[in-house]
Amino acid sequence: MDEAIRVESLKKYYGKFVAVDDISFNVRSGEIFGILGPNGAGKTTTLEILEGLLSPNSGTVTILDLDILKHPKAIKTRIGVQLQSSAYYDYLNLLEILTILASFYPAGVRENPADILKRVNLYSKANQRVKTLSGGEKQRFTIAASLINKPELLILDEPTTGLDPRSRRNIWQLIEEINKTGITVVLTTHYMDEAEALCQRLAIMDNGHLIAVDTPSNLRASLEYQYAVKLTVEKPLNEAQILSMNSLNAKIETKSENAYVIKLKDGTDSLDILLKNIVTDNVKFQNLEITPVTLEDVFLELTGNELQEDL
Amino acid sequence: MIQLTLYNLKIMSRNRHSTFWALFFPLLLVVVFGLFQVGNFGGATVTIVNNSTNDESKELIDQISSNNFFEVKQIGSTEEALNQLNNGETEYVLTIPPEFTYNMNEALSLQYTDQDPQQNEITLLMLSNFLDRTNTASPNNNTIQTIEIKKPEATYFDTVLLGLVGLGIMTNSIISIAVKISNYRNQSILKRMLVTPLPIWKFFASEITAHLILAIIQAIIILGVGILLFGASIRGNPAGLLLIILLGSVVFLNIGFIMSAWTNSPSAASGMGNAIALPMIFFSGTFFSATTLPWIMPILSEALPLTPMLSALRDIGINGYPIWAVWQDIAALAAWIVVTSVIAIKVFRFN
Repeated sequence: MDEAIRVESLKKYYGKFVAVDDISFNVRSGEIFGILGPNGAGKTTTLEILEGLLSPNSGTVTILDLDILKHPKAIKTRIGVQLQSSAYYDYLNLLEILTILASFYPAGVRENPADILKRVNLYSKANQRVKTLSGGEKQRFTIAASLINKPELLILDEPTTGLDPRSRRNIWQLIEEINKTGITVVLTTHYMDEAEALCQRLAIMDNGHLIAVDTPSNLRASLEYQYAVKLTVEKPLNEAQILSMNSLNAKIETKSENAYVIKLKDGTDSLDILLKNIVTDNVKFQNLEITPVTLEDVFLELTGNELQEDL
Repeated sequence: MIQLTLYNLKIMSRNRHSTFWALFFPLLLVVVFGLFQVGNFGGATVTIVNNSTNDESKELIDQISSNNFFEVKQIGSTEEALNQLNNGETEYVLTIPPEFTYNMNEALSLQYTDQDPQQNEITLLMLSNFLDRTNTASPNNNTIQTIEIKKPEATYFDTVLLGLVGLGIMTNSIISIAVKISNYRNQSILKRMLVTPLPIWKFFASEITAHLILAIIQAIIILGVGILLFGASIRGNPAGLLLIILLGSVVFLNIGFIMSAWTNSPSAASGMGNAIALPMIFFSGTFFSATTLPWIMPILSEALPLTPMLSALRDIGINGYPIWAVWQDIAALAAWIVVTSVIAIKVFRFN
């Protein structure tokens, strides 16, 4: 089995509103696959169709070689799911919640609840209730809960949304550890850095459309410019200097009288020449910032929109 | 599923809100009514039917009246006095024979119910002493002929106690399930269930089973406190009572499921549950008979599901009717189960 998930021409409407518009992609076994997009892009709807919570209006979805409409129960037995906002029973402790969740699965696939808690580093809180956990711990616990049936495929809906940077890194590490044990992971995120750090391949969604599917580096390479050099100078550049930069196959945007963004089409070679030119021309600069192209730029280029309004 | 049911019971036992409605609130009412009932504890109400007109009979009555233990009422007709005894308005009926003298041979008659054997003994002893002490010079010939009546009618407390069983089960079933399911939905717990291979009917079956077990425990505790602490007398066939309790419970659980679907938050569900439960408590005759209500209320009362439940509980528990004698109430409850199930299935939503 090379493909954990195959989605073909999937459509989902809510009345006239098209939540997912004719998308197709596949997830390879063993990879961490990310669906990146802003809120309302259709990520959660797509996941809920995969999870069997929603039925598609058209298209086919195959998970672990099983059709979602024909074998929902078999699929549910073999996948682990973390919902976007899953709380658990208020009046049970962590160990009890995992025990009861385990009882929903066939005996053969049940994981030992205590082992699972150890795996996510929550065993010391086994007798506490969910509400006493911190945000990061809660999220680790919901991931733990999704592992209770020894899943072959793990589906995580925005696993780090609302967490502080340290907790996010913790979760990334946990997801990577889980993936190393051979579990395919599909996750949604609207964090560009998360997609970059965690995902081997990405699908970019916007407004129900699937815009691109590829590895993060290929997605970045698909852009015309590979580096942006932000340059703030003491005196505005003269024409000769601008001309010499243009010869580097660059695009120069003037942000203000003495601030420029120089977008370099070629890779490190032209970056090298540009920097040398700046030195030989004796350009006095206050600030020089070199940023490789990011997924944010890819998203902007592909959709014309910012990925996040409040970054 | 058994495990899920057990966990549900565990959750309930840890949930103060549900424990309050299930146990504390109805028990509080049992205690209130129980204390109200035994407010004159330590004394006995005696209705005297005096068939004699002489001074000796008056002397006897004065003696009895002057004792703090007795509250004495006089009445002319034996029939009326026995009526009072049956209604629970009086506890003893003492009949003084015509031409009463302290040393006459004719016995006085004392009638009472079997409700409080201890008090019966004390009363009999004290009354015998009055007859004895009055005239120590002459030998005492008076005796008291006692007639113990099997209590045929319920006391008000018995009636209320069964009403409270219904009240407790109703409020708990409606409110706790409405709040719980609403909570589950708000916290995506229902959704979380749906992504597991657990057949969803098992989820509902275990919720219902757990609540039915709770309803039985609730009924046992309420009846137990009423009977053991406050001397209620509930006869009747326990299996019959159990059947009615379970049927009623299912109706109210269904109503709870419906409430949870019609509201968006646990607090709204709680409010709506109360809004349904509280009027029903009064209109279904929990505390007083609905037939005495004005206007179309008595007819309205018949249209509520708590009414047949209470009526069947009382017919079985107090009047000792067999199950088949309350078939109309059972049919009404069954109809309610069908109707509420259909609505519940139709309106229930997971999101």
